[in-house]
Amino acid sequence: MQLTEILEKLCLLPGVSGDESAVASEILSLMEDYCEAETDPLGNIIARKKGARRSDKTILFDAHMDEVGLMVTAAAEDGSLLFTTVGGIDPRVLIGRQVLVGEDALPGIIGGKPIHLQDADERKTAVPADKLRIDIGCRNREEALSLAKPGDMVAFLPEFARFGNGAFRGKAIDDRFGCAVLIDLIRSELPVDCTFVFSVQEEATGFGAEAAAFSVRPDIAVAIEATSAADIPGVSGTDCACKLGGGAVLSLLDKGALYPQSLTRRCAAIAEEKGIPFQYKTAVAGRNDASAYQKTAGGAEVLAVSAPCRYIHSPQCVIREEDMRAVRELLFALLENF
Amino acid sequence: MTTLETLRALCAAPGVAGEEQAASEKAAELLREVTEDVEIDRFGNVIAWLPAETEEAPLLLLDAHIDQIGMAVTSVEENGFLRVANCGGVDRRLVLGQQVTVWGTEPLAGLVAVKPPHLSDAEERRKLPEITEIAIDTGFDREEVQKRVRPGDRITLTGPFAALQNGRVTAASLDDRSGAAAILHALRLLAGKKLPYRVAAVFSVQEEVGGLGAAVSSFRLKPDEAIAVDVSFARQDGLEDRWPNPGDGVMIGIAPPLSRGIFDELTALAEQKGIPHTIEAMGGRTSTNADEIAVQAGGVRTALLSIPLRYMHTPVELVQLSDVEAVGELIAAYILRDTEEGGDSQCS
Repeated sequence: MQLTEILEKLCLLPGVSGDESAVASEILSLMEDYCEAETDPLGNIIARKKGARRSDKTILFDAHMDEVGLMVTAAAEDGSLLFTTVGGIDPRVLIGRQVLVGEDALPGIIGGKPIHLQDADERKTAVPADKLRIDIGCRNREEALSLAKPGDMVAFLPEFARFGNGAFRGKAIDDRFGCAVLIDLIRSELPVDCTFVFSVQEEATGFGAEAAAFSVRPDIAVAIEATSAADIPGVSGTDCACKLGGGAVLSLLDKGALYPQSLTRRCAAIAEEKGIPFQYKTAVAGRNDASAYQKTAGGAEVLAVSAPCRYIHSPQCVIREEDMRAVRELLFALLENF
Repeated sequence: MTTLETLRALCAAPGVAGEEQAASEKAAELLREVTEDVEIDRFGNVIAWLPAETEEAPLLLLDAHIDQIGMAVTSVEENGFLRVANCGGVDRRLVLGQQVTVWGTEPLAGLVAVKPPHLSDAEERRKLPEITEIAIDTGFDREEVQKRVRPGDRITLTGPFAALQNGRVTAASLDDRSGAAAILHALRLLAGKKLPYRVAAVFSVQEEVGGLGAAVSSFRLKPDEAIAVDVSFARQDGLEDRWPNPGDGVMIGIAPPLSRGIFDELTALAEQKGIPHTIEAMGGRTSTNADEIAVQAGGVRTALLSIPLRYMHTPVELVQLSDVEAVGELIAAYILRDTEEGGDSQCS
C-alpha cells in the first residue's frame, strides 16, 4: 500500500485529542501481522518490530494520532452548542465552517453575525472562539442536549484530495502524515529493531508521549511530524519556518526542545550523502512529542524529522508528495546507520 | 422533486454575481419541468412564463435573484497564489483558511492562505485582512495556474449542502437560491391551473452588486404587480429578538416602497389559509430587488416575501424547508385568491 493511500485512510477519520480510538483501530489493522502491538491505558499504541539486527540502543519513532478540534461544553437556550477548542486553533478559521458533532457525526455549522448587521468595528475584528456557537438545527436546549452532550468531540469535515501538482489537501495531515510514515516503515523490512509509538493527546497536553516514554525508555526518540510552513504571500525569510518542496525539515530548537546537535547533524550528513533534500526549520516555534521523550523516564536523545505543511491546525492542510518521500527516505537511511 | 432536492440542485451550481450562467442554466432546467416557456435574456436573467386564462390578464412578476456573493481573480502572484476582489459583501471575518472553488477552465479547489497559529501572535490573530489582501493557494505554480485560471474568473466559498435537524438545511448560496426554490414551489402548485394572471417568474442576476438584473428585467416586462422573494435575517445568537426563528414561516414585508394593498391581501390570505407567517416591518428601502422593481417603467405595485435565514453571506447559511414552502404556498394562494381553485392552493 502506498504512503498516500495510508495517509488518505487516516485523514478521513476523526481523532480529536482525547478521543483517538477510530484512528487507533485503523492503525492496528494496517499493522496487523507486521509487528507486535499493544495499547496502553491512555490509548497510545506501542508497536515493536524486529529488524535484521539487534541494537544496543532502544530506538523509538513517534507520531501522534490526534488532531486539533473542538469539544461541546454546553447547550444554549436557543438550541445552539457552546464549545471549547482542543489544541491550538486560530479562531479566524472556525467561523463559517461545517463540522461534525459527536459519535453520530451530526452535521453542524459555525455561523456568524450577518455582515449587513455588523458595525464598522465588528467588520474588521476577528471573532474570538468563545463568541462562536455550533448550530445543529435544534430549536431549544432540551432538544440539543438530546442529540449532543457536553464532552462530545467536534471534528472538521473529513477531506482528502489531490491539490494542484504533486500535493494533497486534507484534514488532520498533522500528524496522520507521521502515522502513515511509521506504518509504512512497519510494513517494510527494517535493518534494526525499532519501537514505534502512535501517541495520543499531543495537540492538547503532550501526555501521550510522556506516558509512552516510561513504557519504552528509549535511548533515541525521533518525532515524525507535519510542521508549520508559512511560505505564503506576506511572509518572508525565516518567518516562513520552512517551505513546501524544500524536503524533510530538521528541527534545531523549538518551544519544547533543544535538539542535540550530534543527532541532528548526523541526520543532515546522511541526507547529504544520500542526496535526500532537507531543510532546517528557521523559526523557533511550535513543539512536538520530542520534548516529552527528552526529559521523561531518564531522558533520551531526540530528533524531529518533519514534512513541511501549510495551513496546519486549520480545517485543511497542504502537503507535497516530494517532501513526504524525502522524510520516508531519510528515516530509512537513518535506520541503516543506527 | 422535493424542496430539499430542488435546493440541493440549485446550490450545487455556481453563480457569483456577473457570471451566473451555471446557476441560471440549472434554474432554467428546473423551470422547464413546469413550463415550456423559459428564456434567458441578454442580461442573463432567466424568465419563465405561465399563461393566463385570457390574454388580457394582468402580468404578475415573481422575482428571486440567482446570483450569490463571491470573488473574482484579479492577478496571479509569482508563486502561483491568486489575488482577488469581492463580488458582493464577502465577510472578512471568515475568509482565512477557507476552502474555495476557483471556476477556471476547470473547477479548482483553493485554500485561502493563513499563517499557522504557531507562527502568529495573539495580536495578529485578532487582525483581519481586506479581501484584496488575501491570497488563494491552488497547489499549482504560476505557469500551471495560468493555464487554468484567468483574471475575472469567479470564486465561490465552499459550503457543502447538508441537512440539519428539524428540516433545516445549510449551504453557501441559500441567499437566494431558497427564494428561487420558493418560486419553483409556487409554480409547481400553479401548473395546470386556470390563472387570472399571466405569470413571469424571473431569476435575476447581479442582485448582490445592486439589483441590476431585476431593474433590467422588470423594465422590459412592465408588470402590473410584482412579488420579490428574498431571504431576510433569522434569529441567531447575538441578534435582536425581533427576528423570527427558522420555522416561523414566510416573512411578509411592509416598507415605504412596498404596496400596502398587496401586503394587506397577503397577510389576510396567510391568516385565512393557515400559512405560518410573520411581518417584517422596515422603515425605508428594503435592500432587496423590490426596491429596483418598484420604480421601473413608471412604478410597479410590489410586495416582498422573505425566508428567514441565519448566518447570511457565510458559506454556512441556514434555512428551514417549511419556510421556503410557505413562501411558495402564499404566492400560489395570492394568484388564485379570486378563482374557484383558490380553496385548494395548499396541496403541496
